[in-house]
Amino acid sequence: MTTLPWRLVGAAAVVALFGAASAQAQAPIKIGASLSLTGTYAALGQNQHRGYQLCTKHVNEKGGVLGRKIEFVLYDDQSLPATGVRLYEKLITQDKVDAIMGPYSSAITEAVANVTDRYKMPMVAPMASTTSIFKKGRKYIFMVQSPAEVYLEGLLEVAAKRGLKTVAIINEDTLFPKATVQGTIELAKKKGLQVVFVEAYPKGNTDFSALLTKMKAANPDVLGAATYFDDALAITRQMKELNVNPKMYGVTVGGDLPKFYEQLGRNAEYVYGATQWEPELPYPGSQQFAQAYKKEFPGADLSYHSAGGYAGCQILVEGVKRAGSLDSEKIREAILKMDYDTVYGGFKVDQDGFQVSHKMVMFQWQEGRKVIVWPDELAAGKIRFPMPPWNQR
Amino acid sequence: MTVVITPTMIGQVVISGLLAGSLYAMVALGLGLVFGVMRVLNVAHGPLLMLGAYTTFGLFQWLGLNPYLSLLVSMPALFVVGVVLQRLLVRRVVDAPELSSLLLTFGVSIALVNLAQLAFTSDVRSVEYLTGSFVLGPFAFSKSRVIACAFALVITAGAFVLLKKTRLGKAIRAVSQSREVAQVCGINVQRIHLITFGAASALAAAGGTLIAVMVAIQPEMGQVYTFKSFLVIVLGGAGNYPGALLGGLLLGLIEQLSSLFLTTQVNEAVAYVLLVLVLLVRPTGLLKGRAG
Repeated sequence: MTTLPWRLVGAAAVVALFGAASAQAQAPIKIGASLSLTGTYAALGQNQHRGYQLCTKHVNEKGGVLGRKIEFVLYDDQSLPATGVRLYEKLITQDKVDAIMGPYSSAITEAVANVTDRYKMPMVAPMASTTSIFKKGRKYIFMVQSPAEVYLEGLLEVAAKRGLKTVAIINEDTLFPKATVQGTIELAKKKGLQVVFVEAYPKGNTDFSALLTKMKAANPDVLGAATYFDDALAITRQMKELNVNPKMYGVTVGGDLPKFYEQLGRNAEYVYGATQWEPELPYPGSQQFAQAYKKEFPGADLSYHSAGGYAGCQILVEGVKRAGSLDSEKIREAILKMDYDTVYGGFKVDQDGFQVSHKMVMFQWQEGRKVIVWPDELAAGKIRFPMPPWNQR
Repeated sequence: MTVVITPTMIGQVVISGLLAGSLYAMVALGLGLVFGVMRVLNVAHGPLLMLGAYTTFGLFQWLGLNPYLSLLVSMPALFVVGVVLQRLLVRRVVDAPELSSLLLTFGVSIALVNLAQLAFTSDVRSVEYLTGSFVLGPFAFSKSRVIACAFALVITAGAFVLLKKTRLGKAIRAVSQSREVAQVCGINVQRIHLITFGAASALAAAGGTLIAVMVAIQPEMGQVYTFKSFLVIVLGGAGNYPGALLGGLLLGLIEQLSSLFLTTQVNEAVAYVLLVLVLLVRPTGLLKGRAG
């Protein structure tokens, strides 16, 4: 007999819960994220932020997902991994967000992934391209862009097609460029190219004369440089000074910035670069995205970070839609099964959440414009080959 | 995978090393002067160089001024900055324990870098003025580096003449050798300190201007030159001014040759190992024994 009041209490609790749930059905779905809005990565983090904002707007204009609007709960991690960890902990435990989106950069993603995985919150991580993050047995993290290892794939493939034989690889001695070098060596082997020179230089190096003198002696057909920005600039200038003339010369990060050409002028001609995304790529919705972005944020910088943020958010929303619920396991299953075209290119991940569909593209600086020259199906122009010797330009 | 190193390659690398080294010498001379005269190790020396580089960038960008002509602006401007820093801050730590001056100039260094970040943003800039090189037989002489080297040698020589021949230079050396005796002889030590810090900053500025034409300009570009200058004056003998020239050229050569024979990754390590060896074997620096 004494159990009856407890049943009543239980029933009341259930009613109360359902009541709360139905009230909440009207409330927006809360998506939590931290971004680097200040600090070292501020410029790039802000670009990603605009991607999230525009995605929110577009999703809500189309009526949201599961009949609810979406809304970001967004914090600034000041470009610091430790702050990111604290913020994701707060988002999940205190703000009780319904879903999670990734922060900016591999470093911060790596740090916060420990938190999100512990709470089994699926996290689409648009701006992490370090392979190891996805190879640590984490189950709830999904990669959007191409990994460091394939940044120079286009350069090697075109070189092999043109019958070139030898490759030199140089890199800044830090995590990301090192991963690029490892990947490039593997790819060169697969494509039958011989790696004749590999050397790293310390971060902040400004004088490349000895390195380039040595590399010139190895006489490679192709030079691939895994760079950031300053080094890409300095290497190009010193190649001219020392008249180093590979038939093809490509850089990774930094070569895609408009500043690269602004600063080097015609010396940047013929240089190849790798990029995750360009507005003119013929991906579904890519150009509309770029137009909408320019209208929404006049004068703001538009880069692959913006498009990646937008696409990452699209992927999460599509995952929720396919899962038909906000249940973590169901969203995870749905995202793992997705083969989806975004403004950023293809999205498909393996069981580790590692990206297998997205493609890097290679461009070449031609008359001050980045002309996409690889892969063939996306190419907007022909390559200018070979790079003429510096002293004959 | 091994590259056979030929005499031509060594020649090319020696050229690059000497070109870089002359610039190191000039910049380090400034650090050495301040250390010699005040026993203050100015950690902000590199950031002062950075300000010189931005001066050149600004004049080039907004007024189209020839970057080499901007030496006429950057050097006096940074001379004034140096005098103000000395007057307001450094003066207070000249007689304090060495840790105080290190902490102070370290603070100034951080402040300058952050002010530069606020004022100029952390965007990378460059002065696109001169690219390419002069070719002599199998050797290439980078145009911007040759001109930088020429200016550096002229400015360094000028500084030596000033120190050796003029009354002011003699007064500076006198203060450097013994402040008390100099004071007794009627030298205004405070004034010499002001001029020395100003002149040192002007030397850093000259370095900044010349480097601006060669590499990317950004707020953090300076610090590395503080360390290089430190290496140079220890190698050459702290307080020994011709030693700075020797130390500078030596550092340039070490960097380039270790980069050629070993790898570029280790060139800094090699330079610092050498520093430790010099400190162990000949703690007064390579030249101290000969010149005074």
